[in-house]
Formats: sequence, structure tokens, C-alpha cells
Amino acid sequence: MSATTVRPSAAPRDLGAAGTPRANVEAQSERLTTGGVAARTAVLALALGAVGVIPLLVAPLTRNLLATTAVYGMVALSLNVLVGYTGQVSLGHSAFLGVGAFGAGFVLTQLALPWFVGVAVAVVLGVAIAALLGIVALRVRGLYLALVTLALAVFAERVLFGIEPLTGGGAGQTAARPAWATGDLAYAYVCFAGLAFAWLLDWRLTASKAGRAIRALRDSERVAASWGIDVTRYKLLAFVTSGAMAGLAGALFASITEIVSPITFSFMLSLSFLMMVVVGGIGSRVGVVLGAALYTALPFILDAGAARYGWFPVDGSAAQVIGALLLLLVLVRFPGGLAQLFAPLIRWCSFKPMRSRHGAASATAGGGSDVRP
Amino acid sequence: MSASTTDRPAPLEAEVDVPPTGDGSGDRAGLSDRLSRSVAEHRVGLIWSGAVVVLAAAMIAAGMDVGAMLVNGLGAGAIYAMVALGIALVYRATRVLNFAQGELGTMPAFVVVLILLGGDLDGFVDPAQVSFGQMLALTGLAVVIGASMAVAVNLFIIQRLADSSPVTSLVATAGVALLLIGVQVVAFDLQSRTFPQFFSGSIRILGLRFPSHTLVIACVLAVASVLLVGLFRTRLGVALLASAQDPFAAELHGVSAKAMSSLAWGIAGGLAALGGVLGAGVFEGITPGLMTTTFLVHAFTAAVLGGIGSPAGAVAGGLLLGQVSAMANTTTVGLGISVPNAPTLAAFVVLLLVLGFRPLGLLGKEA
Repeated sequence: MSATTVRPSAAPRDLGAAGTPRANVEAQSERLTTGGVAARTAVLALALGAVGVIPLLVAPLTRNLLATTAVYGMVALSLNVLVGYTGQVSLGHSAFLGVGAFGAGFVLTQLALPWFVGVAVAVVLGVAIAALLGIVALRVRGLYLALVTLALAVFAERVLFGIEPLTGGGAGQTAARPAWATGDLAYAYVCFAGLAFAWLLDWRLTASKAGRAIRALRDSERVAASWGIDVTRYKLLAFVTSGAMAGLAGALFASITEIVSPITFSFMLSLSFLMMVVVGGIGSRVGVVLGAALYTALPFILDAGAARYGWFPVDGSAAQVIGALLLLLVLVRFPGGLAQLFAPLIRWCSFKPMRSRHGAASATAGGGSDVRP
Repeated sequence: MSASTTDRPAPLEAEVDVPPTGDGSGDRAGLSDRLSRSVAEHRVGLIWSGAVVVLAAAMIAAGMDVGAMLVNGLGAGAIYAMVALGIALVYRATRVLNFAQGELGTMPAFVVVLILLGGDLDGFVDPAQVSFGQMLALTGLAVVIGASMAVAVNLFIIQRLADSSPVTSLVATAGVALLLIGVQVVAFDLQSRTFPQFFSGSIRILGLRFPSHTLVIACVLAVASVLLVGLFRTRLGVALLASAQDPFAAELHGVSAKAMSSLAWGIAGGLAALGGVLGAGVFEGITPGLMTTTFLVHAFTAAVLGGIGSPAGAVAGGLLLGQVSAMANTTTVGLGISVPNAPTLAAFVVLLLVLGFRPLGLLGKEA
């Protein structure tokens, strides 16, 4: 931390080489050889292609699992906006997801409107509930905010989602898939597209002035305010972005099994989302999506292992034990999570030299696993 | 530690708890003076109690069974209070909001089930077969198990995270809760198992029918509270309070802050185990994650209501929240309003009201 006076909402500048931000970006890319750029492009294209063909390769019955993984990846990205960038903890993401899912279900089944209307309503509801929570977060901080979000999750689970005319009560609400993607394979691709959209949104957010302002708030609201950052506005923006992603995820989630029931959105689900983000690596896009994939797939991987090999010690029921142990291990011993493990690779794939020349200015821009108050 | 100043929401009402300035009336203040000052200090509490009395009167007038409501509220509230007491103690000593407080109780209760089953997991516990002495011995064992688990959590996880933010520690305790629930699911499956009470049946006192189990819970809570108050008057208790207030200064006076935090966690673990055994008794059954899903959020609310680091506040908050929940239930049922899970709604509203209007809670003090 040198004593610089650069506004955090200004584009990052290379302090050694003078010049405008754009010149800096060019200077950095110039350091890569043409071969380096080509190699990175090829590897990225391959990776993207590999992820894209996964739904084609897996057994038909596991396609819904892939769709769920993509949706949980979106929720993890959404939670990461709050926990990773804004430094606001949320134990209420099961409520965000549920509100989106039930909103979509209500519009599709009770009002019989087209699928895209359901998605739009889900996003609006997600934004609304997140904005409400954001308003609370303007006054209530740290542990108290954690408690409010926890209480919100429990309230949504037991009160809101129990209102029968809206949610169908215990029986649940049906939510049909769009007519053009009724098959499991097609719908898995729809969910993948949703994840890609959330990823792009997150990428543009973090690369923008707003993203830098939000991260400045995380480090210190007072310092951010003294630099002229509108704390209220950017904090609410972070909540709204997170809510929109979670609402969209909820709409996609609703149609995976085509029925939404309140029991799915228990507040324990929020804890699972938090585990995904912490184990994946707080503040890292790649990390949290990997974390989501790991936690969603873990029970099935264990089950498959137990079914195939006699020596396999545990089956899917032990997934929660392993997941929780991983969480504790990451918190106590390995604060950067999966993202830290793959940090050089992630840096290399972001068109940067594998080793950072500026030390702290890393690609993952995270604050370690410290879930800031 | 810079976070400690920004952590706590500032009281939103500027006029709350204004200390009387020295105007010479210090020691020689008359009774009426002191009374009016005490009224001014506890204004909010008084307004709340007044509102509750008015509501109760209205409910009696509407023909609702207020007696049964009070009894139900006591049963639930005493458990909330017991869990909240542990939360408050841990928070006071280590500034950690312990999400695992519920599970530190369910786990020992499951060990009790395991012993009663004699290790045969396919068996069935017949509550009628369990004698009082056996139950007492098993509860003692549960307390020891709960306390040792809590100390282990403190030493192996919380102390290692001492430098991180309180929210990181909260996430870690949530991890502990998930771990314990996971272990219970693996070992005992998701099915519900019967769980014995100390005494079954009910007793009539002052025309009200009290389930015996409710009285047992209330007595245990009373004894635990008295013991804790007593502890805080011993040298050990004072050392505990001192290291909670200022670990560095306490260390200078020869108090080991680490040992004191373990002591607080140990007591909280014991309380959690008592809560687990008695809480499972309420339902006469136990499922994995019972205390977390049923009581934890209410207990957090109770702790905040009472003032988060205050053990006395936790007990008061728990008992009060129990009554509020029971009242929400009786009113909605009595008026024929169909609200799913009215007690949860009531707890959520109480939490928002407290954080909005009196973040320090009823008995909380500016730290």
C-alpha cells in the first residue's frame, strides 16, 4: 500500500509507467507475444467449448443436474456481488431465489402468460426484495445485517412461501418450460445461457466505474464517501444487481423440475450458497462458479463413486459433512479458496503474464476470505 | 479492531439513555427523583410492557384463551432464553455470533438417543421405559459433551480466526452447524426419533394447566440463570467479564484471555446441551438439525431483543419473545386470520423493530 491518492473509482493506473489508463492497458497487452495471445485465446476457446459440450456428453438423466449447477452458479455470482465486492453478508439468498422462482411460477401457471414475462417478473421481484434489504443495509451493518438477512430467509421460507394463493402452499406451484426448450438438453443450454449472462453482467460491473466504487465502499465507506462516491447509491446498486441475478436464477430454477415447492428454499440453502462462495474464493468470478459446481455435484459424485467402487468410504449423504469441513478448512487455513489455488492459471487466462508484476494488483481482486462486515 | 466502532449501529433515537449530568443530586436524590429517572431510563421497556398488558386485556375481552397462551409462551420462551443465554455469553466473551449454538445442543441430545438405543440404530426408544435417574445421568453426560464440543470449536476454529471480521467467525460457526447436522444425517438418517421427557403429563397451578415439561424447562432456566449470576460474582467470573471487556488489560493482570474465552464457550456449550435435551423433549422427538431449524433464529432475535451481549437481557428477551410468539399465534387463530407460521412472522417483525428503534436491545449497554 503505497501512499497514493488515486480515487478508487478512477480506472486503475500503472503508477510506474506514466500514461492514461488506455495506454496502460495497451502497454500491458504489448508485453504478451503474439504467440502468448494466440495460446490464451486457444485455451479459452477450448475451455468454453468444453463447458459448452458437457450437456451433450453426460447421461441424459444428469442434464437437469447440469442445469441446477448453472443456476447455482448464477446464485453464487449474485451472492459474490454482495459478499465479495460490496462486503455485505447475505444469509437471505434462498429468499431471493425463491421469490424469483415463485414469481415466475405464479405468472406462468396462474396468469398463463408467456415464459419471458415470467422471467421478467422474477427479475423485478428479485430486484424489489434486494432493494428492500439494501435499504435496511444502509442503516444496519455487520453482524446485525447478517441476522436480518437470516431472519428474512426464515420469514420467506415459513411465512411468505406458505401463502397458498400465491405459492400453492405445500403442494407447490407448477412452472412450465418455454415451448422452444421443453427437453432437458435444450433447457440445460438455457440455464447455461443464463449463467453466461450473469457472468457478463458481473464482468461489466466489476470493470466499470460503479464496480470500482462498490469495492471502495467495501474497504471503507467513510474513505469512499470522502472521495465523492455516493455510498447510498452504489450500495443499493450492488444489492439491486445481486437481486436481479438471483431473480433470474430463480425463474430458471423454477422450470428445471417444473414445480416449485416452499421446502426447497429453506434457510439452510442460503448457507450452502455462502459455502460455495467462500470455498470458491470470495471476490473471484471463476472461483465462486467453481465452488457452486463443486457443491452441487458433490453428492452425485460421491453417490456414483459409492455405486461403482466397493472401497469408496462414503456416499452422497456425506456430502454436507465434506462440504462443511472444506468450508472450515478454507476459512482457517486457506483463505483464498479455489480461486487462490488456480490463481496463476486464472491470471494467465485473463491475458496477463502468469506472475503479477505489481504484487497486490491481482486478477482476482478479492480480499481473501475475510467476509468483511 | 477498527471495525468495532462501525460495527454497531448507532442508536437511532438520540434521546435514549442520556446519562444524568452531575447536578448535585447524585447520592441524595429522593425516591421520586430516582423513580422518575428509572422510568425515563426504561421508558421503552415500560411502553412495551404497557402495550402488552393492553393487548392481553383486549384478547381476554375477545374471548381468547390467554391462560393457555401464557403457558405456551413460557414453554417456548424458556427454550429461546436458554439458547439465547449461550449466544449472549459467547458474544460477550469473544464477539462471535454463534450460529452453532443450536447444533451444539442437538448433537449431545442425539448421543443421549444413541445410548438409550444401546447402539442399535434400528431400535426405538420408549419414553415410558426411561427412569428419572437415568435421564438425569444422561443429561449430565450431554452437558459434558456439549461443553467439550464448544471448547473444541473455540480452540480449533474461533481462536484461529481471532484477527478476522466478526462475520467471518459467524460463517465459520455456520460451517460448524452444517458439519454437525451433516454428521447427524449420516449417523441417524433423516427420520424422527422419539425422545423422553423428565416428567410427562401436566399439573394444574392457579387454574392454569402447565405441562410438566414446561415447568422443568422453566426451573432449569431459573437455576442456570442464578448459577451464572453467582459465577459473575466470583473471582473467576470477574476475570471472565474483565477479559471480555478488554482482553489486553486482563492479560496484564494475569488473566488468560484464551482460557476465559474457552470458559465462556464451555458454559455456553453446556447450556446448549441442556437446551437440546429439553428442546427435543418439547416435541418428544428429535430430527437432525432440530435446534437450528426450530429455535435458533428465535434465539438470535431474543438475544438482540435483550441486548446482544447481555445474559440477563437474553433471558428476558427469550421469555418476552416466547410470549409475543404465543400471542401472535393465539391472535391470528382467534381472529381467524390465516397467516402461515405467525410466530416466525412475529419474531421477524420484533427483530426489525428492535434494530430500527432500539439497536441496543432492552438491557443492552453502550460497549
